[in-house]
Amino acid sequence: MITVENLKKEYKLVKRDPGLKGAIKSLFNRKYETKHAVKGINFTIEQGETVGYIGANGAGKSTTIKMLTGILTPTSGKVTVNGLVPYENRQKNAVNIGAVFGQRTQLFWDIPVRESYNLLKHIYEIPEQEYQETVAMFTEVLNLEPLLGIPVRQLSLGQKMRCELAAAFLHRPKVVYLDEPTIGLDIAVKVKIRKFIKEMNQRWGTTVLLTTHDMQDIEEICDRIIIIDGGTILYDGGLEQIKKQFGQQRVIHFELADKEKFVLPAALIGQAAVLPNEEETKVSLSFDHESVKSSFVISEMMSMYEIGDLNIADPKIETIVEELYNKQEKGGEHEKVLANS
Amino acid sequence: MRKYWQIAKGRMQENTAYSAWYWAGTLASVMRLLIIYFFWQAVYANQTTIQNINLETMLTYIVIAMLLQGFVGGVGNELAENIKEGQVAIELMRPYDMIFKMFAVDVGEKVMYLIQGTIPMILIAYFFMDLSFPKSPETILLFVVSALVGIWIGTFFDFLVGVLAFWTVNVWGVRVLKETLITFFSGALVPITLFPDWLRTITEFLPFQAMVYLPVSIYSGLITGTEAYMALGVQLFWLISLYVLVRGIWSQAIKQITIFGG
Repeated sequence: MITVENLKKEYKLVKRDPGLKGAIKSLFNRKYETKHAVKGINFTIEQGETVGYIGANGAGKSTTIKMLTGILTPTSGKVTVNGLVPYENRQKNAVNIGAVFGQRTQLFWDIPVRESYNLLKHIYEIPEQEYQETVAMFTEVLNLEPLLGIPVRQLSLGQKMRCELAAAFLHRPKVVYLDEPTIGLDIAVKVKIRKFIKEMNQRWGTTVLLTTHDMQDIEEICDRIIIIDGGTILYDGGLEQIKKQFGQQRVIHFELADKEKFVLPAALIGQAAVLPNEEETKVSLSFDHESVKSSFVISEMMSMYEIGDLNIADPKIETIVEELYNKQEKGGEHEKVLANS
Repeated sequence: MRKYWQIAKGRMQENTAYSAWYWAGTLASVMRLLIIYFFWQAVYANQTTIQNINLETMLTYIVIAMLLQGFVGGVGNELAENIKEGQVAIELMRPYDMIFKMFAVDVGEKVMYLIQGTIPMILIAYFFMDLSFPKSPETILLFVVSALVGIWIGTFFDFLVGVLAFWTVNVWGVRVLKETLITFFSGALVPITLFPDWLRTITEFLPFQAMVYLPVSIYSGLITGTEAYMALGVQLFWLISLYVLVRGIWSQAIKQITIFGG
């Protein structure tokens, strides 16, 4: 369905010396700085897969998605989506794909949602009967009925996102790219959206590529994840494996009366690691939940120090990515954690 | 073709979203018409002709020019904003040709303007002002064709200015300059025949006169016979050149977006 081979993207940025002098200098003598956003990545996604594409901000996620949709032309390497090269056959490719960009709207601002869908029907040349069926189904699953007559500008973020999602799936595309579809939404809406994505995937075999910072999204929708950092793929494999490997990582933040005196308790040496924490009174410990229990870490800390407050953080994607990244650094060579690519 | 028509229709719907705003537009158009009308009445108070143009011909010219000028703009502004805000990325993911899509939007805008601004102005001009009408059906036909071509020249030119948003930071400055150039050199303000010779020569080599001056001159009989057909030829030349230029610059701009990320 999607194949990506040795894909690279470089941006040229104008480099400026600071201040007015630098600004004037740059008028005459421009120096360019090359930014390698994506540094030669490879992956293949089969029809019907649901893939979480994750990484920190600026890791190269959006750049990759833009190349897959045909918005960006790669510097080198090869992309095919459903047998087409997206940036060469932009209009043909467009029929096969749908997309939601959490930060942008693709509905028409001033007209009711129903009219937006109607316009999309014509733009994508969806047969009338198929269109009616699809809209009826979406209306039911996403509970759109009360929203259809309202102009987009009057919808709340959650309502808008439900409508956006329906718009992306309206022409029954083979692939859907979802770039942070749950950003800024409350739990109830998130649940609805996840359920919808899953259902579409099962019903039509839609291939889904999803980027998010919400671990819950990934857990509920995806069966495979690809982690990218600094433009290279750190991990590509099943969700279960990575959870086993890294999901046991727990972080506890302790608020200490006197952080200056803090040293890791002897019982925890080798079991827990101190994470950098910029707050003056807080110490963060990270450990593997399988070998040490949270209760043990807490009781050890309580016996040694005066603890004002503590909180146990959920394993976040950022921490997993960081963990992976550190592992790779330590390894020294290019030994990637590829489970089954 | 059908999808572009639907896009045009969608735009018409969008334009009716704010009804107070819509009718305010009508009022503004009518006011402008009246101001221009009484201004020229006052100019002619102490003379019967200016450079052989009498009041009736002048008023006819000015009113028709004003009606046409309303259509000379285009979607360039919107395109520029799309580009600046990155919305153009979503447009590139759609199964349509972006230039045609923008033109469809433009047609939608103009149909609405026709109802909102032009028709009320025509009604007032017809019932309350002494304007002259072309004598022969041939002139009317020539005028209609010439006006349509002129409007498209204006649209293409506006699109061109919009695409410039890629390379200039200050789109607003470019647009103000464009508006001024068009108002003056298109002959929408005063007939170009009133310009001094040297300025008229310059004007003849610019595309602006093809937007308003040529069609209105055909209508009001300032240009007749073979000259009228020549004028149409000049217009067609500009129409085709501008279209080619629009295509060329647009594909350059697309490369810019897709290679440099906007």
